[in-house]
Parts: sequence; structure tokens; C-alpha cells
Amino acid sequence: MSSLGMVLNIATSALAAQQYCLDVTAHNIANVNTEGYSRQIPTLQGKQAVQYQGVILGLGVKTEQVTRSVDQFIENRLMQEKSNLSSSQETEKYMQVLEGIFSENSETSISSMLSDYWNLWNDVSNNPSGSSERIALYEHSVLISEQFKSLGPNLSQIQTDITNAVTVGVDRINEITSEIAQINVEIVGMEGNNNVANDLRDKRNVLVSELNEYLDIKTFEQDNHSLTIIAVRGCTLVQDDSNYELEMGGSNGDRVRWQDSGGNYVDITNYITNGKLGGWLELRDEIILKYELDLDAMAKEFIWSVNQQHSQGVGLEGFSTVTGTYAVTSTTQGIGIPGSSGAGLDYYRALNRSSFTGAKDISTGYAGNETLVIYENGTTVSITLNGPADIDAVITAINTDLGMAGVPVTASKTADGLYLVLTHDNASSGSTFGVATTSGNDELGLDQSFSIWTYDSDPANPPVENVINEINSSTTLAEIEIKINGIANINASITNGKLQITGTGGYTFGFSNDTSNVLAALGINTFFSGSTAGDISVNSTIVADKNHIAAAQIDATTGEFASGDNNNALAMADLQYRAMDISQWTCDRINGNTEGRVTTTIEDYYHSMVGSIGIVSSSISRETEFNEMMVNELNTLRNSVSAVSLDEEMTNLIKYQHAYQAAAKLITVSDEMLNTLISAR
Amino acid sequence: MRVANKTIYDAVTYNLRNRTQEMNKANEIVSTGKRINNLSDDPVGLTQALNLKSAISNIDQMQRNISLGNSWLASSESALTNVEDIISDTKVLCIQMANATIGSAERLSAAGTVQNMVDEIISLGNTNVAGRYIFSGSKTDTTPFSSDGTYNGNDNAFTIKVGKDTTVEVGSVGDAIFENIFSTMADLKTALETNDVGGIEDAMSDLDGHFDDISAKISDVGSKMNRMEVKEKILEDLNFANTDRLSQIEDADYTEAIIRLEATELAYQAALSSSAKIMTQTLMDYME
Repeated sequence: MSSLGMVLNIATSALAAQQYCLDVTAHNIANVNTEGYSRQIPTLQGKQAVQYQGVILGLGVKTEQVTRSVDQFIENRLMQEKSNLSSSQETEKYMQVLEGIFSENSETSISSMLSDYWNLWNDVSNNPSGSSERIALYEHSVLISEQFKSLGPNLSQIQTDITNAVTVGVDRINEITSEIAQINVEIVGMEGNNNVANDLRDKRNVLVSELNEYLDIKTFEQDNHSLTIIAVRGCTLVQDDSNYELEMGGSNGDRVRWQDSGGNYVDITNYITNGKLGGWLELRDEIILKYELDLDAMAKEFIWSVNQQHSQGVGLEGFSTVTGTYAVTSTTQGIGIPGSSGAGLDYYRALNRSSFTGAKDISTGYAGNETLVIYENGTTVSITLNGPADIDAVITAINTDLGMAGVPVTASKTADGLYLVLTHDNASSGSTFGVATTSGNDELGLDQSFSIWTYDSDPANPPVENVINEINSSTTLAEIEIKINGIANINASITNGKLQITGTGGYTFGFSNDTSNVLAALGINTFFSGSTAGDISVNSTIVADKNHIAAAQIDATTGEFASGDNNNALAMADLQYRAMDISQWTCDRINGNTEGRVTTTIEDYYHSMVGSIGIVSSSISRETEFNEMMVNELNTLRNSVSAVSLDEEMTNLIKYQHAYQAAAKLITVSDEMLNTLISAR
Repeated sequence: MRVANKTIYDAVTYNLRNRTQEMNKANEIVSTGKRINNLSDDPVGLTQALNLKSAISNIDQMQRNISLGNSWLASSESALTNVEDIISDTKVLCIQMANATIGSAERLSAAGTVQNMVDEIISLGNTNVAGRYIFSGSKTDTTPFSSDGTYNGNDNAFTIKVGKDTTVEVGSVGDAIFENIFSTMADLKTALETNDVGGIEDAMSDLDGHFDDISAKISDVGSKMNRMEVKEKILEDLNFANTDRLSQIEDADYTEAIIRLEATELAYQAALSSSAKIMTQTLMDYME
């Protein structure tokens, strides 16, 4: 029989259920602004009905569980897009700093300073003996040097800032993974008896999402509901209740490392491509590094071309003493040989050419023996030529040996059949090589030379030319010192690896016809010192005396030079039009950095470099814009599934309130019925 | 689609941020007057602008070089024209002095006139532009002719640069121009002093040759000046074209920029007003 007690029971269950639903609604309203919160939905179910005297009666309501309204697919996509967005936003931020450094809106941009530099050489050519033109050129050159020198540290400062950001990021990653490991424990404990840990799961999702904003990760939910997180190169960050930390290491403390169970470090720096870390590291080790290397390459070629031309000239007066700016590390190893077997000069390539033409007639061979050494792109080939019959035998011998060694240099002869010619097979791409002959007789006539003119203080005595010859790639600084010391009224010495030449007895001296480029390579009679954007300066010889700015050239026959001669200044001004062979870098963290070469003028090189910064920056801005849009779209989708709508909750509030009121009414009615029953005696 | 409160707030934030960005960009263009304010605004245009700026700077320099060259050539022309006049005056003197009616005393006095003319030619040979001697080859600091006519300069004429791989000799090797004139004048003077009519007649015919040489030199200078003028005209046109092109690349089109700024302002205000309306809507307003 149905009883009044049954009504009371049903009413009680209804009260409890509506109360429970109100709790969930309250929880939703409370979390309307909680990041990552997924709205919860209470599930009610009618109690199992019973059959009573042929009638089936329901027994009220029971609460099942509370579910989260969440679409894990959208959550995962959103996490991925947020990771991309973080990466491009960080890159964009630093690219704006980079753009500022290379800003062209100021008078101090390298671009306009270079134009002015060439213009000032024109001014010197218009008035070679004028001191104001020389001072203007000198002052401007100091400015250019300082501008180059400020760019380098500005770039490395960004890199340092990025390394600091990465360090902070790694700390945060470790905090997050530690928290996730703890939440794993709680979720495993709570869900072990078939509950769903809604809020803990939301919390874990938020942390995973934040972790994703730092670096690329993969996640798996284990059977026991704990989450395993793996970073690049298979490095486990979280497993069950444990987290494994990342750390900064390496010789400069700028590498991101992970320690495996065996205690070995795995360097994952180059493999992180997403999230803030991915953006930062790509900037630091690819984008900024490239511009740093390119800037250095440009400065190196600018210094070299200016110095090479300047060293061919002469100032308003000869030198009484001059010291080179470039030091050798060994005075007994070849100045044109690269690496540790050479003299260690920055500009060892000075003696390299794309082709050499011999100066000696060897159509009918030569008397002695000769060993020819070819230096090409790190390869050295030694060719022994013992008393060949004629030039054709020399050519055959050289080509056979070079062919076997795979060196792309070919021997031939001049049209008249008298002189040997060596040509690089890729001469059009600016590839060069060095040569040396070792007999000391230069049988093939391949050696180079320069002249030192000496001037007596008494102008009645004419200048004397002294040719320093037999210079090739394997000539050592000690040999040059000896040769110069063989000249009357001049003394050479080597201090700290730098060559010093001094006139004696009141004699002065000057240089001409340097076919070897050895003066420029040693920094004698040059304009700039240094070889990178970081160390370019005006040669101290010019700082001390602007008269040593070489606007003129020494007359190759008389040795005289005139105050109004502007031949060298004109040649200097022409450098602005000369296409040079300049390195251009491609930086890639995985495949390494490769050095390419372009043939262009200094200014065009700089212009395209600045342009390329703009291109990189604008493409990153577009990427950020796109990622923002994607995140926005996905957020809207996620919100439509998971976010709390206050209007909905208010409706629910009223819905549950009314149900509660009705259930309470049931109790009142039951009470009244019970009273009626009791009083009916 | 279900719209939650967060959906509305996020959309308002996102859209207002985009509108603000657009407005800021439009404002930057109007207030700087430049289309390109950052490297990333138009990297290709920027590279072109930099190349044009270099070219313009180079052209300015070439124009300065040419202007200096012109002043050298003009001075040369005027000095040489004066020398030409002196030569023709000397020739007139020769014709007079070669006349049989002239006595030795008059010839002796004419010798003094010839010496004055020589001094005048030496002084013209020592013409300078801003302290630089134009007839001493590249020894521009050195007075080319001593008072006795000795040449102190050298054989390399002073040149200036007027373009890539193009130089023009604007100075001269004085020796080549004046040496023969001096020697003829000296012969003439001796002939007058020694009353040697044959010598005077010889000098007269030599002077004809020198007159032609100087004329040729003057027309050479003149043709150089013409070349410079043509070059200058070309550079002017080029400079105008480059400046115009640079302005097209760099400068903002004000009409377009201002219309754009106004459009972004309007869009921003519309977004503000619709956002303000939608954000305040709630069911609670209708419940007691």
C-alpha cells in the first residue's frame, strides 16, 4: 500500500536533490571568471520504481553525479594554438627591439653614414692637401666605427636578455610540472572509487595549457588517470607522482638540458620549436645570430676593401715610423695560410686570388727544381716539379696532381705560351686560393711583391725604390722582417706579433705597388684597424696624424708624390661602386649555420640586410595576428561549450528554487494529511 | 551557438584591441607623414628607399664635384683667353717692329714691353682656385712658374670625379702649355734687343702656332665645360626622378591616410558603443 511515509520520503529526496543542484549552480556562478573552469552540470535520475498492488510507483529522485561540460578536442587544439601564439608574440616583441636598433629614421644609420663616408673621400679627392677635408673624413670615420661597435653589443644584449627569459621560463616549467605531479596524485586518489575530480581536472588542464605556452609537449592520460607529459627528444617531464626538472647548463649556461635516469644530460635547446622558449631560442640562435654574423661579415669586408686600397697610397708626407695593426700568432708560419698551421692573421686571404699569372717565361722549362703548394678551401696540395722539359709538362703535372686531390684549380698558359696561369674553376663565384713556391727561386714567377721608397731629408737626393719580392702564401713575417732589414736607412722589427718599420738617419719612407696585399693584411698604411663590427677603429697612425690619410699614390717610376695628387682618393671613392664578395649566413639550430657568399656593394648588402630584418619582422607580426585570431576562434568555441552563462545559471536558480518550494509544499501537504488521519478517531 | 558571459567579454577585449591597433597605425602614418615608420611596415619599399637615398647622396656629391670642376675650368678658360690676347698683342707688336722704318732704339724699348707680357703670362700661369694652382699638374700646392718661367709642377693633371668610373681633368700641366710660348718670347726679346729683324719674323710665325695651340686648349676646356653641363643636367634630372620616386615610396598619401584614420576612429567608436550596450545586458535586471 502507498503510505504517507512514502510521500515524505519522496519529498525529502526532492529537497535534497534540488538543494544539490543549487549547490552546483552556486559553484558555477562563483567560477564565472575562473580561467579554464568548465561549467558543471548536475545529473538527476528518478529512483527505481516499485510495483505495489499492481501499480508501479516511482520512489522519488536521486543524484547521480556532476559532469563537466568539456570538449577535449577543442581543449587540445586551443592549447596548441596558444603555444603557437606565445611563440610568435615573444618573437614579435624582440623583433621590434631589433627593428629599433637598425632603425633607418635617424641620421646615425649605418646606411647614410656609409654614403657620407664615400662622399667625404670625394671631398678629399677635390682638395687632397686640404686639412679640413681630412679632419672631416677622420671624424666621420670615428663615428662609423662607433656605430658599428654599438650595433654588436646591442645585438648580444638582446641575446643575453633572451637567455635570462629562458632561465626564468625553465624555473616556471619546473614549478608547473611539480604541481601537475601533485595533482596527478590527488586525481588518482579521488577517481579511484569512480568519482570524477572535475575541479582538479580543470586545474590540471590550466597547468598543462600554461606548460604548452612555454614549450612543445605531448600528454597521455594513463589508465589510473594520471597524466604523463613528454617534451622534445623524448624527455619525460611528468610521470605519475614525479616530475623531472629542466635546467640551464652548458659552458655559457645558456643551454636547456634534461637529466636522464642515468644522470646524463640531454641538450634539448635546438629541438624546442614551440611556445615562448621555442620563440626565444629561435630568435637567439637563428635570427639574431644571423644578423650578428652578417654584420661582422660586412664590417670585415668593408675594413678590408678600404684598407687594401688605402695601403696602395701615400699621405702628404712619408712615414718616419709605422706599426702594423694586425698581430701574427707565429712569426715563422705562412701569413697566407689559414688555421693553426698559418700565422694566424684575420686577413690571411689577402694573398689569395681567383687566378694567378706567372711573371717568368717558362716556355722551355727552367733549370732548377720547384715545389708548388696550393691552398684551397682548407685543402693543401704539394706538387713537385723537377726540371720539367717545358711549360706544357708543368701544366700537365699540376693538373694531374690537383685532379687527384679534387682541388678545383686548373693550370693553363697565356696566349703567347710563355707564362703559367692558375685559375680557380669557380672564379665567377669569387672563390679564391693561395699558392706558394718553396725553392726560394720562384721558378714559376707566381710570387708577389711591394715597393718601399726611401726619402732622404735632403730633397736633392732622389727617392730610392726597394722591391720586397718573393712573397707568397707561405712567406713568414720573420722573412719579411729580414727582407726589409736588407734595405738601407730602414729598420724592421716585430713586437707582440706586429711588424714595425722605422726610418733611420732622418730617412722617411712610403709604399707603392703592393700586388701581394701583405701590407693591408699586416695593417701597415691602412685606414681602419680591427676585423669585425665589434672592433673596428680608425688606425692609430691616422688618429695621430691626418696627413697619413693616403689620398695620393707614389709615382711608380720616380718615387715622387704630390700634395695635390688624388689618385688614391679617387680609387677610395670608387669602392662604393665595387661589388665585393661578402659572406652571408644562414642559421639553423638543427642543421647548423652555413656561410654563403654574395657579390654586392657594401651599401646594397646593408640595405638588403635591413630589408630582410623587416621581412622577418613583418612575417612574424602576420603570424601573431593569425595565431591571435585562431586562439580567439577556439576560445569562442571552448566558451560555448564550457564557459558559464550567468543568464543560464539565473534561470537554473529559479528552476531549482521552484522545485525546492514545491517539494517543501509536499511535506506541508503530507503533514496536513497526517494530522487529518490522526484527528479522525 | 551558446554564448557565455566570457564569450562576450573576450570578444569585446579582442575587437577593441584590434580597433585600437588599427587606429594607432593610421595615426602614426598621419602624424609622421611617412608610410614606412618601422622596418616591417614595407621591407621591400624600405630597401628601395635606402638604395634611392644612397643614389641621391651620391648624386649630390657628384654635383658638388662638378661645381668645383666648373670653377677650375672657368678659371682655366679665362686665364688662357688672356694668354691668347697677349699672344695676339705680341704678334701686332712683331708686325710693327719688323717694319724696316723702325729703329733699333724703338726695338730695344719694345723688348721691355715683351718682358712685361712674359711677366703677365707667368702670372696667368700661376692662376689659382681657392689657393690651388690650376696649371701645376697635381702639385697644386706649388706655384707652377718661377719668375724666370721655370716650371715647378709635374706632369699629372688634376682630375675630379664626375660619376662612377668617370673622371675629368680640370687642371692642366702648365709646362706643356706655356713652355714653347716662354721660349718664343725669350727669342723675340733677344731679337728686339739685338735689332734682328729675321729673328722677329721667326718669332712672329712661331706665335701663330702658339696662338693655334692656345685656341685649341681653350676649345678643349670649353668642350669639357659643355660635357660637365650635360652631366649636370643629367644628374639634376636623375636627382629629381629619384627624389620623386623616394617620396612615392616613403611619404604618406595624406588624403588616403586621413580618410583611413577617420574610418578607423569611426569603427572604434562603433565598437565602443555596441560593446557598452551588450556588456550591461543581464537577466538579473528583469528579476526583482
